[in-house]
Amino acid sequence: MSAPHNERPNIIVNEEMLLGFADGRLDAAQSAAVEAYLAAHPDRATDVAIWQRQNAALTTLFGPIASEPVPARLNPRRLAAQATAQRWDWTKIAAAVVLLVGVSAGTGWYLRTATWQEEPASDRLIEGAVAAHSLYVKETAHAVEVTADDKAHLVTWLSNRLGRQIDTPDLTKQGFTLVGGRLLPPLAETGTGPAAQFMYQNQTADRLTVYITAAANPPGKPFELYNDDGVEGYYWANTQITCTVIGDLPHAEMQAVAKDVYQQLTWRPDPPARS
Amino acid sequence: MSDFLDEMEAAVPALRRYARSLTRDADRADDLVQDCLERAIRKRGLWQPTGPLRAWLFRMLLNIHRNDARSRRRRGEHTPLDEMTIEPSTLPSQPGHMALAEVARALDRLPDEQREALLLVVVEGASYADAASILDIPAGTLMSRLGRARAALRTLTGTGEEPRLRTVK
Repeated sequence: MSAPHNERPNIIVNEEMLLGFADGRLDAAQSAAVEAYLAAHPDRATDVAIWQRQNAALTTLFGPIASEPVPARLNPRRLAAQATAQRWDWTKIAAAVVLLVGVSAGTGWYLRTATWQEEPASDRLIEGAVAAHSLYVKETAHAVEVTADDKAHLVTWLSNRLGRQIDTPDLTKQGFTLVGGRLLPPLAETGTGPAAQFMYQNQTADRLTVYITAAANPPGKPFELYNDDGVEGYYWANTQITCTVIGDLPHAEMQAVAKDVYQQLTWRPDPPARS
Repeated sequence: MSDFLDEMEAAVPALRRYARSLTRDADRADDLVQDCLERAIRKRGLWQPTGPLRAWLFRMLLNIHRNDARSRRRRGEHTPLDEMTIEPSTLPSQPGHMALAEVARALDRLPDEQREALLLVVVEGASYADAASILDIPAGTLMSRLGRARAALRTLTGTGEEPRLRTVK
């Protein structure tokens, strides 16, 4: 009731407030409190004055840089256009996929024999991926060696065995979650070493597998498609890995999944620096 | 997408300024900004449209700069103090101002973490909260870095014993 005359709320002036004052970051009440404090403490007023001169010097030194004309190479639109141009590889693949899927819709197709010459490494890898897929998607208790609960270990282990930093693609957008993965033996005449198989499952218990190896030697074709009685495979290879996505979802879904896996495994924005 | 690029474009002058104040080398600073923008464009799927793009860009720029500085140190490169580029036109000799070249030299002798914090707040005008977020440190740590940076700058520029003076505000 009988509050003492106190125009200002109790503001305790500490070091942080003095810094804030020098930087002009205080509100009116705080500034007033600091000013009153500085009037009574000339030594601290000197400190604050020096800080403000530091600010003035730094602003004078560097402030004008932001008014300089920006070089064309730092134009975001130009950089975005260049980035798109560098993505021609997937665009080309996607176009080919759409075209080939369209041409062969409704029939079982073996594009690799019909369209291209034999290429042992990719053929063998797809066969290996399909065989492993068919074998393990039927399993309930032993579908994977290491489950997704232990994902960090799974990724480290398989990366070490493949000699490549690999990661499990995130397919939650497609409704699939990781079940886990396993290590599979090398296939003859591919030169890739062992393979990693990751298994995914959706809510209706559809399963798909992603089969990854180190790059083949010789590298062979950059991509290939496979379809046998509803089981589709999407294979591609770059300088680091080969990857085959296998599943029996409808075309459109398989394509979406394969594209997503491709993007995640190929467009690694920041590849871990292990040279 | 175009909003993203527009916002990015608006941030470029400040990114250049921060990069140049950190590197003291115009070409290297622009390389740094270009690298930052390219990565941001590649990673734009990771950017939440609600979050502040500018802070995200500054954080990325700083990370690239730190990695770059680390690898330069490993290679044994360093910039001699004499080679620091200060435009003569930015050196007005107004009485009562600190000698700018002296401040610039002192700035270069601050520990990286203090210089990063001070420039972000003073030159870029980042709020304390934004600066702490960009530097990925708690608010209290930011304030103590700023305090130490100012004390070190004062010692290095020999302004400790100066008489009290009025500053224009």
